[in-house]
Amino acid sequence: MTEFLQFTLGGISFGMVYAAIALSLVLIWRGTRILNYSQGAMAVLTSYIALTVINHTGSYWEGFVVALAAGLVLGALIERTVIRPVENRPPLNAVVVTIGLLVLIEGIAGIIYGGQYRSFPTAFSITGLHAGSVPLGISRNDVFVAGAVLVVALALAALFRFTATGLRLRAAAFNPYASRLLGVRVGRVLTLGWALAGLIGALAGLLVSPNTFLYPSSMDSIFVLGFTAAVIGGLDSPVGAIVGGLILGVVLNYVGGYLGSNLVSIFGLIALMAVLLIRPSGLFSVTRERRV
Amino acid sequence: MTLLRHLVAAVVAGAVIWAASVQLNAFRDFQMAEIAVYVVAIAGLSMLIGLSGQISLGHGAFMAVGAYTAALLMLHLNWPLWAVFPASAVVTAAAGAVVGLAAARLHGPYLAGATLMLAVALPSLAVQFPGVFGGDQGLSVTVTTPAALGATFPPTRWLAWVCSLAALITLVILANLARSKVGRDWRAIRDDPVAAALAGLNVARLRVLAFIVSAACAGLAGAMLAITTSLVSPGSFTLSLSIALLAGAVLGGLGTLIGALWGALVIVLVPTYVTDVATSHGFSGGVAANIPIAAYGVVLIVVMLLFPHGIQGGLRRLARLLLSTPPARLGSPGQRQPAGELTEDPNAPYRRPPVSEHQEEGTS
Amino acid sequence: MPDQAALVVEHIESGYGGVMALRDVSIRANPGTITAVLGANGAGKTTLLATISGFVRPRQGRVALDGTDLTRRAPEQIVRAGVAHVPEGQAVITELTVEENLRVGGLWRHGPQGRAAALADAYQRFPILATARHRSAGTLSGGERQILVIARALMASPKVLLLDEPSLGLAPRIVAQVMSLIQRLRDESGLTVVLVEQNARSALAIADVGVVLNVGRVVVTEDAAALAADEALRKHYLGF
Repeated sequence: MTEFLQFTLGGISFGMVYAAIALSLVLIWRGTRILNYSQGAMAVLTSYIALTVINHTGSYWEGFVVALAAGLVLGALIERTVIRPVENRPPLNAVVVTIGLLVLIEGIAGIIYGGQYRSFPTAFSITGLHAGSVPLGISRNDVFVAGAVLVVALALAALFRFTATGLRLRAAAFNPYASRLLGVRVGRVLTLGWALAGLIGALAGLLVSPNTFLYPSSMDSIFVLGFTAAVIGGLDSPVGAIVGGLILGVVLNYVGGYLGSNLVSIFGLIALMAVLLIRPSGLFSVTRERRV
Repeated sequence: MTLLRHLVAAVVAGAVIWAASVQLNAFRDFQMAEIAVYVVAIAGLSMLIGLSGQISLGHGAFMAVGAYTAALLMLHLNWPLWAVFPASAVVTAAAGAVVGLAAARLHGPYLAGATLMLAVALPSLAVQFPGVFGGDQGLSVTVTTPAALGATFPPTRWLAWVCSLAALITLVILANLARSKVGRDWRAIRDDPVAAALAGLNVARLRVLAFIVSAACAGLAGAMLAITTSLVSPGSFTLSLSIALLAGAVLGGLGTLIGALWGALVIVLVPTYVTDVATSHGFSGGVAANIPIAAYGVVLIVVMLLFPHGIQGGLRRLARLLLSTPPARLGSPGQRQPAGELTEDPNAPYRRPPVSEHQEEGTS
Repeated sequence: MPDQAALVVEHIESGYGGVMALRDVSIRANPGTITAVLGANGAGKTTLLATISGFVRPRQGRVALDGTDLTRRAPEQIVRAGVAHVPEGQAVITELTVEENLRVGGLWRHGPQGRAAALADAYQRFPILATARHRSAGTLSGGERQILVIARALMASPKVLLLDEPSLGLAPRIVAQVMSLIQRLRDESGLTVVLVEQNARSALAIADVGVVLNVGRVVVTEDAAALAADEALRKHYLGF
């Protein structure tokens, strides 16, 4: 029973990382109908930048902030230069371009930082927490991970619902043509969407790198699972991204814990295919009415 | 007759290859075999993407299926090469059918993501059942040169011959397929699945068929890889392989068979060359090894943005310019919209539809 | 002064996909008037509006508002010059509520206070929107949507309103309501309206000037009442 509790709580923590990746994918998907295959690689790069700052200044939080800022800049830069030309072309182009970005960024990371596995510091202690005498299987840092993603998600939700910028983001995502007619600078808004996605992705990288160690392709499997979480929740739904991430995190942690860690990616594949075949629009997609 | 034309071309190519293989040294013969491997794999992928409009980021996984099949058949049943190759292709074709069936309803990014997951997950199967698949160490494969050729016959030349023959046969088959009704049907479902369905084509069946053919090619390539490298292990079939195949297909020119040759040449020859240049310029081994990886990325991006039709498309355009023939409709995906006075036209040929027009995004 | 607050379209040659939908079109919309642009399907009416609002770049010709040249500018800039384009098919953002749709309309123009005022004004003018303000715009009927898009366009206090087939798909009774609404806008606010319509009869009933397009050229520019009275012209080009 304790084991089950530990796996559940640990799964929640992991799941929040998947949720973060899923959230950034959803953000970009809603705005530009593009699936950003380089999201994980972007997170690797920002994590390396954070590590450099941390090693230089000795302060985790400085590196943390710099990474988030780098994520913003990176996202905006990529959208403006490389994504803009393929936004209105057939989907294949965007797939190839973002794959190209994935490879390019990982290659650059390898060139600058080398391929060796680096350890990454955590924000808080990793000693296991206890409820009385029962080991919970999670640490203070795990709680921070879950909390950080939750805070960012809520902040994003508030941005979308209550601000003019958020309204522009939603309008441009739902109906770019009508938005342009109303004077919304759709191009700028899309850049902002990618910037925000870059920020969330950077957060995910910071949160998970202590567990996986940091190396150029360390986010590959995390990205794939984040994508799976997004599909489970529905690519259009930010809430779905969080829920999908949690579900996937917990389930996969059970698999890893009870069946062995090697089976995790296979199980992820099964989960992905199951969702895609049974309910392709995900759990939380709103069935949209057809246009008159 | 198309078949005759293709056969003649293959025979001519075969003669050229044979002549070259005799002249080249052992290492170059080995590279020739390697190139043949990638020509087959890339040709299959290029047909899938360029002709039927489906994307796969998991073709490395199919190569793994073919490679392991070949290794197991040779190790446990001692099958000869001429039986192993088709068997690997058939087994992988079956795997392709399974994936294709699952994927037939998926589009664009969903399909890409699913195949990506496949590429990431499949190698762990080998580790999961180490008794059968040899775990991380993998299985070793030995190929003996036929005694008829003599004891001093260089084994790499035999590999080059075998692989080149397999590649030529595959290309002839693919070329005929591309020109046949099936090929035309594929193009139809690629360009406009709705119209194709209305015209009576079974879109799902054609999609699955494309996956089967393409997977068979990858499986054959995997078997060829197994005998060239003498080792089959999970480490040879990482995500990077799938991406390299994609890069080769895009660079060479999607949907063209000659493009598969260009792509294979680039994939096999360029990375070692670049790494050599980099190391000789003083970059450390680690850095130098990553430069080709970064270069793949640049290639994919630049080609997609500026030269969507790849090398073959560029050559075709050049030929057209030089010969002043009227422009042929290349019709491969990634074609740009007509440039000109447009800023944003609501009625233009391709428009990303507003969200509210889609019920279920990922499926047809 | 004849050029003040007038929308001027001069010798426009425009189209897309290699086909020039407009060959040589010149139109002048005087301030505070309704100019009806009529003609059969394919005559180029929609292309005309898209050219004015910047979604299609003309190969030749000039578009100007109040003497300011708008030719070949980006749509965002043309909107900020005071042109509001309401496309055909009611480009309502169905995933947003009625109020959110309205707010988007006023985003570029107003700061927070201005938006509240513009919103209140819209609800006062169009009470039907006030009752539906928190409903998803996708749940509105055709007629309600048409009113929403017009109100949304007005949120930015435009000088010129381009309307593309507002009567499309609406029942005759609703069409009459919409037309009378447009008429009121001209009368009460002095708005300049360019009204593209297939329903020529209804359009001419409220318009000041009628322009008939045929295969990309202007064939008639005439006082609306006179045009409506000219039986031969009506039958030939307008079908009634």
